[in-house]
Amino acid sequence: MPPVISVRDLTKTYQVGEHSVHALRSVSLDIEQGEFVAVIGPSGSGKSTLMHILGCLDQPTSGQYFLTGRDVSRLSDDEVSLVRNQQIGFVFQGFNLLTRTSALENVELPLLYGATNISAAERRSRAMAALTSVGLESRWDHHTNQLSGGQQQRVAIARALLNNPSILLADEPTGNLDSKTSVEVMEIFQKLQQERGITIVLITHEMDVAQYGSRVISFSDGKIKSDVSNENRRHASGELGELAGVSEGVA
Amino acid sequence: MAMNSSALIALRSLRRNKLQTALTMLGMTIGVATVLTMIALGTGAQRAIQDQVKAAGMNTLIVTAGNFQARKERPPDDAIEMGSLREPVSKAHLVTAAFHPEDDPFAVHDHQTARSRLGDSEAGLGAAATLTIPDADAIRDLPGVQYVCGGVHENVHVVSGDTRWFTRVHGDDSSLPEIRRAWKFVHGDFFSAREERNKDQVAVLGAVVANKLFGDANPVGKTITLWKQTFKVVGVVTSSSWLVNPAEGDDQFDAVYIPVTTMHSLLNLSKLNDITITTKSTGDVSKVESIVTSLLRKRHNIGPDSPDDFTVASQAAKALSSGGLRPDVASAVTGNVNGLEKVTLDQLGKTLDKSSRTMSALLASIATVSLIVGGIGIMNIMMLSVTERTREIGIRRAVGARAQDVLTQFIMESVILSVVGGLLGILIGVIAAIGISRSVQWSTSISVMSVVISFGISAAIGIFFGYYPAREASRVAPLQSLRFE
Repeated sequence: MPPVISVRDLTKTYQVGEHSVHALRSVSLDIEQGEFVAVIGPSGSGKSTLMHILGCLDQPTSGQYFLTGRDVSRLSDDEVSLVRNQQIGFVFQGFNLLTRTSALENVELPLLYGATNISAAERRSRAMAALTSVGLESRWDHHTNQLSGGQQQRVAIARALLNNPSILLADEPTGNLDSKTSVEVMEIFQKLQQERGITIVLITHEMDVAQYGSRVISFSDGKIKSDVSNENRRHASGELGELAGVSEGVA
Repeated sequence: MAMNSSALIALRSLRRNKLQTALTMLGMTIGVATVLTMIALGTGAQRAIQDQVKAAGMNTLIVTAGNFQARKERPPDDAIEMGSLREPVSKAHLVTAAFHPEDDPFAVHDHQTARSRLGDSEAGLGAAATLTIPDADAIRDLPGVQYVCGGVHENVHVVSGDTRWFTRVHGDDSSLPEIRRAWKFVHGDFFSAREERNKDQVAVLGAVVANKLFGDANPVGKTITLWKQTFKVVGVVTSSSWLVNPAEGDDQFDAVYIPVTTMHSLLNLSKLNDITITTKSTGDVSKVESIVTSLLRKRHNIGPDSPDDFTVASQAAKALSSGGLRPDVASAVTGNVNGLEKVTLDQLGKTLDKSSRTMSALLASIATVSLIVGGIGIMNIMMLSVTERTREIGIRRAVGARAQDVLTQFIMESVILSVVGGLLGILIGVIAAIGISRSVQWSTSISVMSVVISFGISAAIGIFFGYYPAREASRVAPLQSLRFE
């Protein structure tokens, strides 16, 4: 079985005025099925560019990107859209949910696109199942502005999972959340990895968030500085228990 | 992606932006409502004009006593030539006006003249009283004839108290209102068949006469004096059409109608000046005309070589001869142009059509401007929403929407806006057209065609003005749009 993600000599160069900005310099990388990879690095290290290319939102200047064995770095816009729809789930820092729209309709969104025609009933039941998996089934009809930040991020995760993607790409998913909610979101990610074997790529600039991953890749100046499996992995579910204990103690 | 899911996406988007949706739709609604109302008013006016042309006598024939057919009626050898009528420009010879020997009060004739046959002192060329009530009854029995009304008229002073008015008295059949379809009774009704049979001294006043004699008061039940005889007023008639307004000197409403029988017995007459015939169908006019002609020729014992002693004309031809033209010119024209009445009706109709078309075009251009304004409104809002909704576009692209899906969504939204707005506009337009026609008495006509056209236009505008913003939306790169705050 080939790696879910296989990147060879990936280069990305932006033209900013007369200067060439080298966001990625010949990056090669394999990510296996079921890994939880945390990509860490300071601003401008190229980690976001990597995620955009991995998410098929951007194309590399040179190099190849194999997603489940298929080279997706040179596909047409329509083909790439289908890849995003079928194989990639996004979770963003700013949630990127449709405003004035219920949680359920937001989660349904990927099913409205894509090649196959899905009945309204099936769309609804699949969206409800996804909402249930993030514990938001009771709030399916709430509009996004009626939900807390953590809840919104969980809606976004449900949406990302809807088409059973090959990879889940999370770009600073805890950036807009307080520490407790961040741990809750991380707990969901870890559960998805452990219980459903979903491959997760998490982009962050915070080391303590990166510690939730099973493997930590550190970026600097568009290159991989280190790529190690995480020995001191943090476990969100345990931390949540402790947090609950602390708050009880305070009370 | 299937069509129904793109419709669903568009509908959900419109629902998200209710106020914007409502405002955009409003522009379209006003545009379509305006178009529809304008077209309704325009075609209504057009139809009213056509109705008037029909009411003026598409199926009406008028038999007039006497004959102006100058060309057929070769002047006898003893006629005294009075001069020639020439066409002013080409100087072509039109007609030789002649003094008919029968009109010479001192002439002695070896044949029975119209005057000696009918005993009418006013008989003469063109006014010969050659028609009688039995003629009218005979025509009534012909196939294809709907109504027949024999009439006689005299100019008289109508007197009521101290007020006098010089007008024309028509002795007519009680069936006259059936022929005069554009009549409306302000007070009372026409005299009845029984009153006609009994030779009752009853009169129906034209609106002008009623106004001159009685002002605004209701004259029904009051009396007037004609030929020093007392007549009871039974009705007042006016025009039901907004095209014809009763005026002094007109033939229909500056007039008094009494039963033809009463007039005959009072004045000791047996003549009819004219017989008005309506045919059951408009297409039968020419056929009935020839049947009537041969019937009357037979009844009047006119030999094959002799001219008619009456004239059968459709309403239009009659209008021509009494329309301010010199009688001899009119007779020359009617005598020389074959099927004149048809030509005239055609031309009259065409002229009226043309003028109402001009009006429709004017209304339509106003309406078009308002539609374009509505369309530009849609384009503006859609353009604005492309920038406003960049993030939304980015989200959709991230979850797998193709550029084409975004294009379809935006076009769909503007089509839904314009079509729903258009349907509302049709509804409002129909209500407005009916309201206007009620309040200003202007007939309107909403055809299926005009509804279909305005609906089609609104959908087309939605696509046309929605396309550009939609294309802009579809060109937004997914990555840029996600970064857009």
